[in-house]
Amino acid sequence: MSSTVNSLNTIKNYLPTTSDTLFKVTEKKEFKKEIIPSFKNSSLSCFSIALFAGILFLSQQTAAKQNSTIPEWRPQSSEKLVKLPSTYLKKSIESNFADSKLGIAIDAANEETRLKVLSLSDLKKAINQSNGEIKTELRHQLLAEKRAYVNIVSRKNKMRWKQLMTKQRLYERILNKLSQKNRALTPGKKILLEKQDEAKKRFNQTISTVDLKLFETASIPESAYSRKYSKNMTVINQLLEKVNNHRMNKAVQVDGQKLSKKEYIRKLLTDTQSEIAILEQEENILGYMAKLVALDALTLSEEALDAELADSDTPSDEGPAEAANLFIND
Amino acid sequence: MENIKKKLKTAVVITSTIILSSHLMMKSTNAGVLENLERERASVIKHILDPELSPSERQKKIQSSKMRLIDLERIVLRDNKLKGRNTPTVRRAFNNYDLTFLLHAATEKNLTLTDGWLSQLGITTQSLMSAQIKRQSGEKM
Repeated sequence: MSSTVNSLNTIKNYLPTTSDTLFKVTEKKEFKKEIIPSFKNSSLSCFSIALFAGILFLSQQTAAKQNSTIPEWRPQSSEKLVKLPSTYLKKSIESNFADSKLGIAIDAANEETRLKVLSLSDLKKAINQSNGEIKTELRHQLLAEKRAYVNIVSRKNKMRWKQLMTKQRLYERILNKLSQKNRALTPGKKILLEKQDEAKKRFNQTISTVDLKLFETASIPESAYSRKYSKNMTVINQLLEKVNNHRMNKAVQVDGQKLSKKEYIRKLLTDTQSEIAILEQEENILGYMAKLVALDALTLSEEALDAELADSDTPSDEGPAEAANLFIND
Repeated sequence: MENIKKKLKTAVVITSTIILSSHLMMKSTNAGVLENLERERASVIKHILDPELSPSERQKKIQSSKMRLIDLERIVLRDNKLKGRNTPTVRRAFNNYDLTFLLHAATEKNLTLTDGWLSQLGITTQSLMSAQIKRQSGEKM
């Protein structure tokens, strides 16, 4: 009895605590079907089913707790981001994320995952080189480490999910702001802009002629504004040339094509959505990993149970015919 | 390495702040240039129409106003903050270039300031010469 409880405890120990990952796998029902018969075969099926359900309930509660403790990332306001040059926009968002609590937590989770993978591969090598009880013990350890790995990656995925959803909402807000800017052009404003452009064009075309006519007689001296304006304009033009040729001010190019700000943000949004799709796929992989850990735990417990039963003094379930010889031969 | 990364991030944040703050700073300056031009224009027209002034006095006053008008008209035409500002004053100002930017328009057409303004109102030397003197009731003199 005690050995059976021990082996069931083994299952409990190796089940990943984030059971929602497990349940995300589409073959949820299949999983139940596969696990429950093996319990039915044992004499303690009712007890084991209750225990199994209990573990899942507890692990779901743990997962809910973990969800509520995911760190935050509050990006900069979209109003400010709209004003930034395209080349700088992505870097600014990335830098803001890296400084956030969520960014730091994801970095830490990445490091944890890397270390866990290293210890998993070490354990795997050790199992290949060992045998007997040590091998069983190492297999137990490997399962425990696998469970920990699945939990870490599952938590990391939740954080990445939060990051990507926030990023997607941010890009959508920026796009809306840009569209609003264009939508704000009412017919009246459009007419005004056209007239202002016309006025500016006319002024620029005639300014040299006007200057010549006004200042030729020297009756009107050149004002301080005029003098300083021309001087400043020379400097401004030089600065503007430098700004326009600056590496960071060039329009973003994708596959040799120059993209407008709106097009670039739409591209960033598509990239984020594809990352979300990949993350969903990774969640599936993690679900299968969790399922495998649970099945390995069952195998291990079954093996332990078999070994226990083989060693025990319990009389075998044999019929009286086997003992007939004891009665026949005096 | 971690330190360098942190410093770079700080630099990035500082740059974005500078860009944004300079953008905001420019917005809040130099309001009312169009109103100043309107005031100066009104003053010139007043001098043109003032019957109390002798021709030389009028000429002097117009001349001094002209110096201010040149700058004010250029300031308004170069002011990017007026672009798209859909207010009645701005709309009215850009509706008629020749009346708002009186000095530039008149010089363009080789006219004096007074002639430029009067021609915009449809009053030319020819129209004045061919005008008939009438009583208010409409009878011929």
